Amino acid sequence: MNARILVVDDDPAIAEMIGIILRGEEYDPLFAADGKAAIDTFRGERPDLVLLDLMLPGMSGLEVCRTMRGESGVPIIMLTAKGEPTDVVHGLESGADDYVVKPFNPKELVARIRARLRPSLPDTTERIQIGDLEIDVAGHEVRRGDERVNLTPLEFQLLLALAAKPQQVFTREMLLEQVWGYHYKADTRLVNVHVQRLRAKVEHDPDNPRIVTTVRGVGYRAGAVT
Amino acid sequence: MQWDWRVWRDRLVHVWRGSLRVRTIVLTVLLSALAVTVIGVVISSSVRANLFDSRRDQVIAESGRAAEQAQRIFTTAAELGDGTDVQATADSALATVQRSTTARYTALLRVPAQDVPRVIDDQASRDFQPGYASTELRATVIASDGTDVAWQSVAVDSEDGLDPGITTGSILDTISAGRYQLYLVYDLSDVQQTLDFVQSTLAFGGFALVALFGGVAYLVVRLVVGPVRVAADASEKLASGQLEERLPVRGEDELATLARSFNGMADSLQRQIRQLADLSRVQQRFVSDVSHELRTPLTTIRLAGDVLYDQREDFPPTTARTAELLHTQIERFEAMLADLLEMSRYDAGAVQLETDPTNLVRLVEESIIAVEPLAEERGSEVRLVAPGGYFEADVDARRIRRILQNLLGNAIDHGEAKPIVVYVDSDERAVAIAVRDYGVGMSPADVERVFDRFWRADPSRQRTTGGTGLGLAISLEDAAVHGGELAVWSQQGEGSCFRLTLPRRRGDELGGVSPLALPPDAEVAA
Repeated sequence: MNARILVVDDDPAIAEMIGIILRGEEYDPLFAADGKAAIDTFRGERPDLVLLDLMLPGMSGLEVCRTMRGESGVPIIMLTAKGEPTDVVHGLESGADDYVVKPFNPKELVARIRARLRPSLPDTTERIQIGDLEIDVAGHEVRRGDERVNLTPLEFQLLLALAAKPQQVFTREMLLEQVWGYHYKADTRLVNVHVQRLRAKVEHDPDNPRIVTTVRGVGYRAGAVT
Repeated sequence: MQWDWRVWRDRLVHVWRGSLRVRTIVLTVLLSALAVTVIGVVISSSVRANLFDSRRDQVIAESGRAAEQAQRIFTTAAELGDGTDVQATADSALATVQRSTTARYTALLRVPAQDVPRVIDDQASRDFQPGYASTELRATVIASDGTDVAWQSVAVDSEDGLDPGITTGSILDTISAGRYQLYLVYDLSDVQQTLDFVQSTLAFGGFALVALFGGVAYLVVRLVVGPVRVAADASEKLASGQLEERLPVRGEDELATLARSFNGMADSLQRQIRQLADLSRVQQRFVSDVSHELRTPLTTIRLAGDVLYDQREDFPPTTARTAELLHTQIERFEAMLADLLEMSRYDAGAVQLETDPTNLVRLVEESIIAVEPLAEERGSEVRLVAPGGYFEADVDARRIRRILQNLLGNAIDHGEAKPIVVYVDSDERAVAIAVRDYGVGMSPADVERVFDRFWRADPSRQRTTGGTGLGLAISLEDAAVHGGELAVWSQQGEGSCFRLTLPRRRGDELGGVSPLALPPDAEVAA
C-alpha cells in the first residue's frame, strides 16, 4: 500500500500541483484547505506524513501543528512561505520535523518526504542501553525501567543515531545528514530545536542533560561527558 | 603633585565651561567685589585725608598758640631784667606749654652753634626720642623765625606697637640765652581708631554687599538657568526616544514661550515619528504580504515548470526548448524576487542577524569551491591567499556567504579568464576579505555607481551568473548590518578589487581602517 500524505494548503493550485508530483512518486495525496479540515482528515484518515502550510485561514498552521503533534508522532514537514528565520524556529518548536521554503522544486520536496518516510536506521537489532534508558531498536520503543518514553519517529531516530555510537561526537552537520537526510549544508537549527525537544522527554533535568550532552563548539554525543 | 594640580585645573575648567550658573555667579561676585573694593579704597582714603588734615591743622594751631605763650614768658622775663633766673623762666615756659597742649611729649632743645653762653639745659619728656624730630624738621625749624610752626608725620612708640603721630616744631628766642627749638609730639592714635572703625565698617559693608550680589545672581540664574536646564534635560530625553517628554508651561513670560514652542516641536516630532513608524509598519506588512502572495503562485509555477523540465526529453524539440527556457527564467524570477524581498527587508529595517562563531577562512574556502565549476568554465583560476583570519568570528554566515558568492560571481564574470585572488587577513580589531580580479576593470564613474540598485557595469556583457542587479546593493547592506564595510577599487584594464572588512567583535567600530590594503597586491605577495 502506498504511503498516504496529507497536503494542507489553502491555495488549490499549489495543492493540486503537489498532488500531481506525489502521485508521480507513487504516494497517495489527501487534501485539506484549512486548519479544521486538516485536523478532521488527520484524525479520520491517519495519514503517514503531513505537508503543512504555516499560513492558513482560520486556525494558524502553528496551532494545527501543535494539535497534530499532541496526538501522534506522524512526520510533519512545514511548507513555509515567509523567509523570516524566526518562523522556522516557531514551526519546529510547535512540533514540525522538517521544513521546505516556498518556492521549492519537486526533487527537494520528494527528498524531504522520503527521508521522513523511510528513515535510515543504524544496522542493528539489539537493545541499546544509554544511561537509565533502554532502546528497543526493532520494537521502535524507548523504556525507562517499566515506563515507556513516548518519542516521535524523528526523536527516536535522533536518539538512536547518538546512542548507537556512544563514543562518537556528532556534529550538527553529521546529524543533519544521518537523521534528516540532507546531503548539503542545511539549517543547523533543525538539530538544535529537536535536541531540545528530545531532552525535554528523556532527561530527568533538561537543563542539566546526562543522556544527550552538548560538546561545546562541536556538537552532541550520547552519555555523560567524561 | 604636578599631576594633582593639573587634574584640579582641568576639573575647574570643566566646571567653568560646563555650568552657566557657576560662571554667572562667579563673574558677578568677582566684578562686584572689584567695584566694592575700589569704592571702599576711595572712601577710606578720603576719610583718612580729611581726618588727618583737620587734626593736623588743629595740632599746628595749638602748637602755635603754645609757642606764642612760651615766647611771651621769655620776652616778659627779659623785660623785667637780669635778676630773673633764666632756667626757671624756661621751666615755667615749658610747664605752660605742657599745660596748654595735648601733646604727649615736649622737648626744648638749644639751637646749636650760638655765641651766647649756654644757660638753659636741653629739656625733653622722658620718652622723647631724638628721631621724633628728624634732621630735616630741625633744619627747617632752625631756619624759621619766630611765629612759624613746622611739622612732620612720625610713628610714635606706644604700648601696643607704633601709633601715627605729628611732631610740630617752632623756634623760641630766650633773648638772653640764645635761641631754642620747641618740639611737641602729638599722638594721632585716636584718629587712627576712628579711621580703623570707618574702614572696618566699610569692609563689612563691602562683604555684605558682595554676598548680596552673589545671592541675587544665584537667584536670577536659578530663575533663568533652571528652566533652561529643565528644557535641556527634556530635549535629551526626547532625543533618546522618550517622545512623551514635555515641559511644564507656567505664566506668560519668555520661559513659558520657550516651553510652549518646545512642546510644539516635540508634538510635531512625535507626530512625524509616529507617521514614519506607521509607514514602516505598512511597508513591513506589505513586504510580508507580497512575499506570501507572490510566492504561492510562484511555487506552483516552479513545480509545474520543473515537472515539465524533467520530462523535456519526451517532448518535441520546440516544446523541450520552451520547457528549458521556462525553467531558467523561473529560476531567475525567483532569485530576483528573493533579492527584492531582502532589499525591502533592509529598507524596512526588519533585518535580524543570526550570528555564529564562524571561521572566515573556511567560509571563503567553501565559497571558492562553490564557484569553482563556473570559474573553470570561464577559464579563471581562483586562488586563496590567507595570512590571517584563522579564528572564529561572530558573523551571520549566510550573509557573509552571500557577499562572497556575489563578489566571486562578479569577479568571474568580469575577470577575462585571468586568475582571481582572494585575500583574507586580520589584525587585532578587524578581519578583511578582498576579492581581486585582473579583468576589464571599471571607469571612475562606474566605480561610483557600482553599489546602486539595478545598475550594471556593461549592459551588453554576457551574464552567466544571472545577477539580479541587486547583488552588490544587498552585499553592502549585509556588510553594514555586521558593522563592517564593503569598499571597491578599480582601474580600467587592470581589474577590480572588492574588500569586505568586518569588526572582530560585534558592535566594535572599524574606524575606517582595514587589515588589507585596497588593492592588497603590493602588501601581500600573491
